[in-house]
Amino acid sequence: MADRSLFTELEHLESPLVRLCIEAATQSADAVESWRRQRRTLERLPSQLAEPLLHRLLRRRLLYPSLLEVFKYSVEKIDLRGESSVDAEWMAYLGAFQYLSSLNVSDCHRINSSALWALSGMRYLKEVDLSRCSKVDDAGIKHLLSIRTIEILCISETSVTTNGVALLSSLKRLSKLDLGGLFITDTALASLQVLTNLQHLDLWGSDISNEGASILLKFPNLTFLNLAWTKVTVLPNVSSVTHLNMSNCTIHSIFKGEGNKAKLSKLTFAGALFKDIDKAFSYFDSSYLSYLDLSNSSLRDISLLSLICALEYLDLSGNLVGDDSVTFIASVGANLKSLNLSKTRVSSAGVAVLVGRVPKLETISLDFTPTDDLAISYIGMMPSLKAVNMKGTNVRGVIQQNAENTECVLSLTALENLKHLEKLNIEETALKDEAIIPISNLKQLTHLSLRSSFLTDASLHHLSSIPNLINLSMRDAILTNTGIESFTPPPSLQVLDLTGCWLLTKDALLSFVQLHSDVEVRHALVTTFLSDKDDSKCHSPFMGTAPQRRFSSSPLKSEMAAIIDQRLKYSRAELLSMQFASTSVGPSSDPPTSPK
Amino acid sequence: MKKEDTVKLISAEGFEFVIDKNAAMVSQTIRNMLTSPGGFAETEHREVTFPEISTTILEKICQYFYWSLQYASGKETEFYIEPEMTLELMMAANYLHT
Repeated sequence: MADRSLFTELEHLESPLVRLCIEAATQSADAVESWRRQRRTLERLPSQLAEPLLHRLLRRRLLYPSLLEVFKYSVEKIDLRGESSVDAEWMAYLGAFQYLSSLNVSDCHRINSSALWALSGMRYLKEVDLSRCSKVDDAGIKHLLSIRTIEILCISETSVTTNGVALLSSLKRLSKLDLGGLFITDTALASLQVLTNLQHLDLWGSDISNEGASILLKFPNLTFLNLAWTKVTVLPNVSSVTHLNMSNCTIHSIFKGEGNKAKLSKLTFAGALFKDIDKAFSYFDSSYLSYLDLSNSSLRDISLLSLICALEYLDLSGNLVGDDSVTFIASVGANLKSLNLSKTRVSSAGVAVLVGRVPKLETISLDFTPTDDLAISYIGMMPSLKAVNMKGTNVRGVIQQNAENTECVLSLTALENLKHLEKLNIEETALKDEAIIPISNLKQLTHLSLRSSFLTDASLHHLSSIPNLINLSMRDAILTNTGIESFTPPPSLQVLDLTGCWLLTKDALLSFVQLHSDVEVRHALVTTFLSDKDDSKCHSPFMGTAPQRRFSSSPLKSEMAAIIDQRLKYSRAELLSMQFASTSVGPSSDPPTSPK
Repeated sequence: MKKEDTVKLISAEGFEFVIDKNAAMVSQTIRNMLTSPGGFAETEHREVTFPEISTTILEKICQYFYWSLQYASGKETEFYIEPEMTLELMMAANYLHT
């Protein structure tokens, strides 16, 4: 898998020979030594070649601070996000990069304020991302002030305070400023009002109140505004804003009184609390709105939707809306592409209302709703659908014609009408083997997720005939060793998730893995085989929940980042040669310790 | 090999490589030079000079052209690149769009 990801990393390079060269140049530490003294050639290297070379070295763990020096005339953009080794020494070398315009060191935990000193006075730096470098504080901001060219600055979740933010007012060219998760007050915002070029402002999680929000009127070019998790209840008439996020705020009113000219196109109000939703939207021009997220807002009444005709994306998940509300959705369904009704009270009867009213709908989510097999037959009448999510619903896969008639209809047959269906998720339903049969006729399907303890080997056998399947998940199924042995995966299959299939033994899984080496198998017994490091993923619930780890200073985080995934460090060919020749020394200069 | 089917590539040092036109066309840049109707001198004489590309690199480039044709026809072998020439070769490949 690692090899594949490295390949995609270089894929944007048009020239195949350039790709081969970069691969050869980063084959081993010896290879690097053979070219690193070609100083004059390195100086002439165009940035579009130098940058992929540098980032490839980084991924292969061949990059170290003094090697950075060879790139100091060629690299303009550098992305070191999440690299735990990046520290003040790296920054010292980066400070010498003559033409650096973009630097991303987000999540580099060793970066502190004094490390930023090396950057002061850089001449072309436009973009600096220090997000979640928790050791950076107001002193670090002082070092940045000498870089007059900065246009984009991200310092979310650092230790910068109101005083530090106030200093930013001297960076007159700032157009994007991410101050998310900082404990800053209205005073900080007041001192920023000289930054009239600001287009993008992130203030989530700060102590900004309504009073501070009124300063937002001073930014004439502001198009993106994030006020999530703040105390702002009334948004002033910021007429330039097109993207607004006020998730988890208590919202009294969007815009204050008449005379507002904002052309909002994207609104995110996830988890917001509305006092009176009709009043909140009363001064609001909805004719440009295409994206609306109202998830988890305890809404019962969504009648205001009927005013929003250009809607393409609608998220109402986690609200108390029922079938009667679906009429309002149907009335604005003409342009709808994505609809999320998960965790609502919408039933199959509600889905029926949508039939014929949503001609462009591509994604529908009905997870954990009281919908059943009837809903599937209605979904079969929405021809443009590409993704259907019905996790945790009452779908059983069979419809009994009537009480006395024992003849059953397989409800999933209705999905065969969806010629574009690519993704189907019907996890956590009571599906049995015979109900699965129609799925094997879905030729366009690439992602299939099933999770039912009634499914057996027979299902796996049926599914092997889906030609384009990339990702197949059959969790908690009763699969046996014989079943997996006789399973021939579709040629395009990349991931097979068998988590929770408790009957499978380690030997059977390993022989499958060896036979089909291009399929990534997920199972408790397989992860320990592939790499011991993967264990940390299983044990820590923090992985993959990056946006939620607000202010968390868990020691686990840095520890995890410090672990080098062995699969990234070596190419697939190298790994294979190691596997078969555990005694011989590997091709790279630092031979791996092969497991005894 | 007929003369019309070949092209001559000349390195910085003046070494001449005569190769199949088909092979040379692997490079988008050379293809443009040879096929564009603009009346390039290159089109008429089927001769391209590369004052920026050294002989060793141009030789490797020519090898790559032939390897690439073979690879496209299904013969999947590895194209070995000596690590010390990767940088120069990379720049030449970038210039030649190959």
